[in-house]
Amino acid sequence: MRHANRVAATAAVLVLIATACGSSSNKSSSTTTTPKVQQTIGKGEGAVSILAWPGYAENGSNDPKVNWVKPFETATGCKATVKYFGTSDEAFNLFKTGQYDVVSASGDATLRVVADGDAAAVNTKLLTNWNDIASFLKLKPWNSVGGVSYGVPHGWGANLLMYNENVVKPAPTSWGAVFDATSPYKGKVTGYDSPIYIADAALYLQKTKPALKITNPYALDDTQFTAVVDLMKQQRKIIGEYWSDYLKEQDAFTKGSLVLGTTWQVITNGVQADKSSPPVKAIIPAEGSTAWSDTWMLSTKSKHPNCAYEWMNWITKPDIQAQVAEYFGEAPANLKACSLTTNRDHCKLFGASDTSFYSKLAYWTTPTAKCLDGRTGVTCKNYADWTAAWDSIKG
Amino acid sequence: MSAVSLRGVTKRFGEVVAIDGIDLDIEEGEFFSMLGPSGSGKTTMLRMIAGFELPTSGTISLHGRDVSKLPPFDRDVNTVFQDYALFPHMSVAQNVGYGLRVRRVPKAERTRRVAEALASVRLNEFGARRPYQLSGGQRQRVALARALVNRPAVLLLDEPLGALDRKLREEMQVELKEIQQDVGITFIFVTHDQQEALTMSDRIAVFADGRIEQVGTPADIYERPVTPFVAGFVGTSNVLQPAVAKILVGRDEMCTIRPEHIRIVPTGTQPNDDEMQATATIRDVQYLGAFVRVRAEVAGGVSLIVDVPSTTSVSASIAPGEQCELVWRRDYVRVVEHFNSTDTGRTT
Amino acid sequence: MIGTGLRRRISRVLWRRPRLRLGLLLGGPLVWLLVAYIGSLIALLVTSLYHYQDDPTGLVQHLSTSPSATNYRRLLDQHVYRDVAFRTIGAALTVTVIDLLVALPVAFYIAKLAAPWLRRVLVVAVTMPLWAGYLVKGYAWRAILDPAGGVLHQVFGHSPGFGLSGTTLTLAYLWLPYMIIPIYAGLERLPNSLLEASTDLGAKAATTFARIVLPQLLPSIVAGSIFTFALTLGDFYMNQIVGGTTQFLGNVVYREFSANLPFAAAYATLPIVIMVAYLLGARSTGALEEL
Repeated sequence: MRHANRVAATAAVLVLIATACGSSSNKSSSTTTTPKVQQTIGKGEGAVSILAWPGYAENGSNDPKVNWVKPFETATGCKATVKYFGTSDEAFNLFKTGQYDVVSASGDATLRVVADGDAAAVNTKLLTNWNDIASFLKLKPWNSVGGVSYGVPHGWGANLLMYNENVVKPAPTSWGAVFDATSPYKGKVTGYDSPIYIADAALYLQKTKPALKITNPYALDDTQFTAVVDLMKQQRKIIGEYWSDYLKEQDAFTKGSLVLGTTWQVITNGVQADKSSPPVKAIIPAEGSTAWSDTWMLSTKSKHPNCAYEWMNWITKPDIQAQVAEYFGEAPANLKACSLTTNRDHCKLFGASDTSFYSKLAYWTTPTAKCLDGRTGVTCKNYADWTAAWDSIKG
Repeated sequence: MSAVSLRGVTKRFGEVVAIDGIDLDIEEGEFFSMLGPSGSGKTTMLRMIAGFELPTSGTISLHGRDVSKLPPFDRDVNTVFQDYALFPHMSVAQNVGYGLRVRRVPKAERTRRVAEALASVRLNEFGARRPYQLSGGQRQRVALARALVNRPAVLLLDEPLGALDRKLREEMQVELKEIQQDVGITFIFVTHDQQEALTMSDRIAVFADGRIEQVGTPADIYERPVTPFVAGFVGTSNVLQPAVAKILVGRDEMCTIRPEHIRIVPTGTQPNDDEMQATATIRDVQYLGAFVRVRAEVAGGVSLIVDVPSTTSVSASIAPGEQCELVWRRDYVRVVEHFNSTDTGRTT
Repeated sequence: MIGTGLRRRISRVLWRRPRLRLGLLLGGPLVWLLVAYIGSLIALLVTSLYHYQDDPTGLVQHLSTSPSATNYRRLLDQHVYRDVAFRTIGAALTVTVIDLLVALPVAFYIAKLAAPWLRRVLVVAVTMPLWAGYLVKGYAWRAILDPAGGVLHQVFGHSPGFGLSGTTLTLAYLWLPYMIIPIYAGLERLPNSLLEASTDLGAKAATTFARIVLPQLLPSIVAGSIFTFALTLGDFYMNQIVGGTTQFLGNVVYREFSANLPFAAAYATLPIVIMVAYLLGARSTGALEEL
């Protein structure tokens, strides 16, 4: 049964990514079957295994006051085991093993997970908060196939530029600060250790080199890609460390061995909470930012599907969404959370209900050979190419 | 001038006194044995002469030169180790040539001397072999050749025959003695086997508790032991406490008599003039091949050990419980040093 | 009473049939070994012969239908993969040499000079770090190497910082016990009388070390180096903690694993080939008997 589901899902993905991306050619729709979904949430299995971005499933071990896993366990009787990951690639590799029931997947992992047959379609009727989720996040190309949702949206936000206010003067306003070959902060600059980080250079060139005609940092043809990769290679010379482990970046900014580079709000919060650390600030620079939009997905191999649904319902509850959004520093998917945040302006600050702001950010997406910006007649670089390029950028 | 002179040599390991003020002279060309039970200090003494251990006090001289503080490689002595200590990764010839090589003896001379040394231990054909391809006796001879090739003033041998089986050991005893006579080098031979020491040595020093009990020729040591320890350790002896000696041999001193010097005769036999006798009851009979060892109880509950040659006709009738007469010649009774009670532990 | 129980009867059958006994003893592990170990190696090799191709739609990729050497050609053509391989092998050799230089005197002291009670304490002390977690040690070395006020910086005023030398130092620390223990075991087996015989025959300490100790210790050294070399060759996570921008073979394999599995498989055969060559070389020294 599971196997059949997986085949069906894979077939559906192969075909339906096309429609999702605006292609009208849908010749093999006859082979499409609606994948079977769970019909009821039964008695909990007593356990759930969660694969999450750092900060998404806090159990009080990092900060005793930040804890929504224990209350979940008390409320549902599902004992939660949490594993954090640092990159979408890592999430993909771990989720593939089938040891995890749910994963908080970003847009550059979701379709890969579905195509690999690792993610199950979800029954939105069983999702108690489904109606309160912002509509611009539901049934989108990166979290659904053929109108069938492969998860429930969690939240979204931008990759920020963090800098040490004591050292970096004047304060940077552009991503150019991390791509400057003559940077005075050489050796103390950081970058995100994943092929998807190439999009940051693409976004910068999109705004600063109009001649390259980049319209979508995830849709790069040969010429564009070469220019972007060259910029990344130039950047490598001023990089002190790449990070994928969020604790490492936090540690390095606290100690001062890194002073400038891309970050997540949750890391900045961590540095600012440490009294011994120098003052740091995180901004969205003039060029805008790459960003993530995350979805909780259910494993096809889940041994605890009932508890997994319980978790998806718990993590999308307004009060929990408010806590997660404030702790991690992102916009909550459930707009009812906006009235429950400690900082009443949190949703406004992160543009949670601002559709136009949402559409300005460049969300992590898996690059494909068919250009995601709709161009035809050219081949774009796919994720394998990006990965190979990342090999050579690091050298 | 003595080959080796020891003056007041003492060695302490922490609280333990291993060697307790030894004075000894070993003459040039002597085959000298240090005999004693394990823990008696004989090996420690040998290691101090070799230079592996430094004395706590006292001096060690080789041919009149004080070497007490010198490292082994600056002493004109070589050692044959108990486990032979052949270098397993070298051929027999390389083993034998090692000392010449590290002393930078030219190659041609080295080859010649190695060949000579191997010939002297009858291993001419074995130069290319590895130690593990040799028998125990052959390894022993390689170890000997490796030491002798350096023409040391003194050769030290630390129980070199201990690992060999009995028959081979007896052959090697003869061979060692012959080699020593050929090369004329002073041998200092450490052993716990009194038979071995008696067979091979010119002189023997008997060690006990870090001291020398007696130094003398094999005949001295065997026939005229000066302490009960020597009497008991070298061969088997009946040690008679003064009270017992007074009754049996008429002397108020500690005495010994060897088991083979006592005869068993039928009751009622008259002893010769130079003989003494005692009536006894046989308690125990052990057949030991060449002779029968009998434990006979005389008056006062004292037991004497008697060795009777197997060929003696009387041995057939010896059985536990039988009454008999023990006879011995007066001059076989030896008076040994009288120790006070604190020293009696030595004989154990 | 004897001989009535079923268990006793089974025991008797087993006693009479040694082959059956052996089969029951080793059957399970052997099957596991064949399937899990040899099987996965074969799977790796087979996988490496395929490659992903773009679907005509350009939206997804699928595996090539026939085997080819595409991945291996890419490995040879793109110099970055050669650079990374040489860097990894270089680090593995450097780690091995550092560990050897540290382990020899330490093991010699433990085996030949330390008092028996101290020897036991030191052997435990040497193996103690193996009980601590890998990540714990990695982060401890971050604190040591940190160019902004780490331990080295505070004590010596200079630190190699995060990078290749930092990773090499950290790995040399991590794998040191694997070098000390075999050398210690080898030295313990080396009779003291051999050292004494050498001195007795006129050799000074350096000569004894070069001519007697080293040749006899060679198998132990090679055994230790198999650990230090192989563990370094396969390590990738320490680069993420103290490596700065450095990547090893393992980092590339891990990254490519999610994006291009066949290529990852092809690259992963390289350390296997290197280790097989290393082990064949080691076998000729007799070191494999030390393992």
